[in-house]
Amino acid sequence: MTVLFDLVLCALMLLAALAAIGGRGLFRATVFFVAYGITVALAWVRLGAIDVALAEAAIGAGLTGLLLLGAVARLRRAGAPEFPVRAGLVPALAAAGVAGATGWVALRVPGAGGLWTEAGEALPLSGVENPVTAVLLNFRAWDTLLESIVLLAALLAVWALAREEEWEAPVGPPLHARPGGVLEGMARLLPPVGIVVGVFLVWAGASQPGGAFQGGTVLAAVGLIAALAGLVALPRPDSGSWRTALAAGPAVFLLVGASGLALGGLLLFPPDWAKAMILTVEVFLTLSIAATLALLVLGPPQPRRMP
Amino acid sequence: MTGWLLFAAAAILLTLGGAFWRVWQGPGEADRMMAAQLVGTGGVGVAMLLAPVISWHALDVAIVLALLAAFAAVGFVKASSPDGAGDPEEAEPSEGEEGQ
Repeated sequence: MTVLFDLVLCALMLLAALAAIGGRGLFRATVFFVAYGITVALAWVRLGAIDVALAEAAIGAGLTGLLLLGAVARLRRAGAPEFPVRAGLVPALAAAGVAGATGWVALRVPGAGGLWTEAGEALPLSGVENPVTAVLLNFRAWDTLLESIVLLAALLAVWALAREEEWEAPVGPPLHARPGGVLEGMARLLPPVGIVVGVFLVWAGASQPGGAFQGGTVLAAVGLIAALAGLVALPRPDSGSWRTALAAGPAVFLLVGASGLALGGLLLFPPDWAKAMILTVEVFLTLSIAATLALLVLGPPQPRRMP
Repeated sequence: MTGWLLFAAAAILLTLGGAFWRVWQGPGEADRMMAAQLVGTGGVGVAMLLAPVISWHALDVAIVLALLAAFAAVGFVKASSPDGAGDPEEAEPSEGEEGQ
C-alpha cells in the first residue's frame, strides 16, 4: 500500500511541477505552484521530515502564494504583456542538467543513513531533544546566524526599490477591506488561533518538530492577514521599533554566540547553558523572522493616494 | 490498519488529481483558485491520515496547512479588487452576477 501511495503522490508532484512551468498563463502557473507546494509538504511528511514539511507548508503553500498572486495582479494592472511561460530550450536543458546532477550526487552520497548517528550521539550535549534544532542552532549555528542575516539583506534589497519620495510612506500598498465583510471577519477569527500555533511551534521546537523559522512564518502570516484586512496600521521603513524587531534576532544570536567566547569559543554553547542560550536565540529569531517575512510580502513603501 | 490508512490517503490524493484537472481547465480564475483550495483541504486530510503511520507530529503540519492554505485565496481576493489592495465586497453589491 505504501508503494501505491508513493506512486500517486510522486505523480501529482510531477504533474503540478510540469503544469507550473509548462502551461500558458501566469495565473494558472501560480496556482499550480501553490498546489505543488502542498504536495511537496506531503512528500516531506511521508519521508518523516516533519520539520521540513512544516516549513514547506507555511512558506510554499502559504506566503509564496500570497506573494506571487499579488505580483501577477500587479503586472496586469501595470499593463505588462502576459509573457509566455513556455521555457526556452537552453534554460530547459540547463535546468534538466542541474536536476540530473543533483539526483546523481544525492544517489552517490556515502553513508546511506546520513548523519543520524553522529547527531544522535552528540544530542545530549546540545541542550535540546530535537536533532534538527540541535543541528540548526548548535552544531551548525554559524550557518543559521548567516542565514538570519541573509533574510534581513533580502528585505533591504526590497526596500531599496523604493524611490526617494516614497521613503516617507508606510510599507506596502494602501490596504483596505469592507468593514464587517468576509475578509475582515476572517482576519479577526484567524489570528488568535494562529498566534497560539506559532508560539507552540517555537516552544515545541526544542523537543519535537518546529522551531523559530516555522513558528515565525505562522506569526508573519497572522500579522499579514490583519494587515490585508486593513485592521493594523502599516509601519514606515524608518520606524525605530520595527527596525529593532528586524535586527533583534541576528543581534541577540551574535551576542549569545560571542558570550560563548568566555565559555569556550564563538558560538560554542556549553551543555549546561545550551538550552537557555538556544531558547533565547530562538525567541528573538522568531520575532525577527516574523517581522522580516511579513514586510517582505508587503513590499517596498508606496505613497498613499486616496481615491 | 496501516494499509487502510495509506489506502485512504492514496484515495484522497487521487481526488486531488480531479482538482488538478480543474486548475488546468479553469475556465474562470475563481475555478482555478477554488480547486487549489481543494488541494489544500485534501492535503490536510492526507497529513492527518499519515500521522498514525509516520509520526503524530504530522498533525502539526495539518494545522499549519489548515491555517495557511487559505492565504492564497486571500491573495486572490485582494488581487481581484480594482486597486489590488482592497476587497471586492467593497463594490456596490450586485445581484447574482460575479464581478470581473
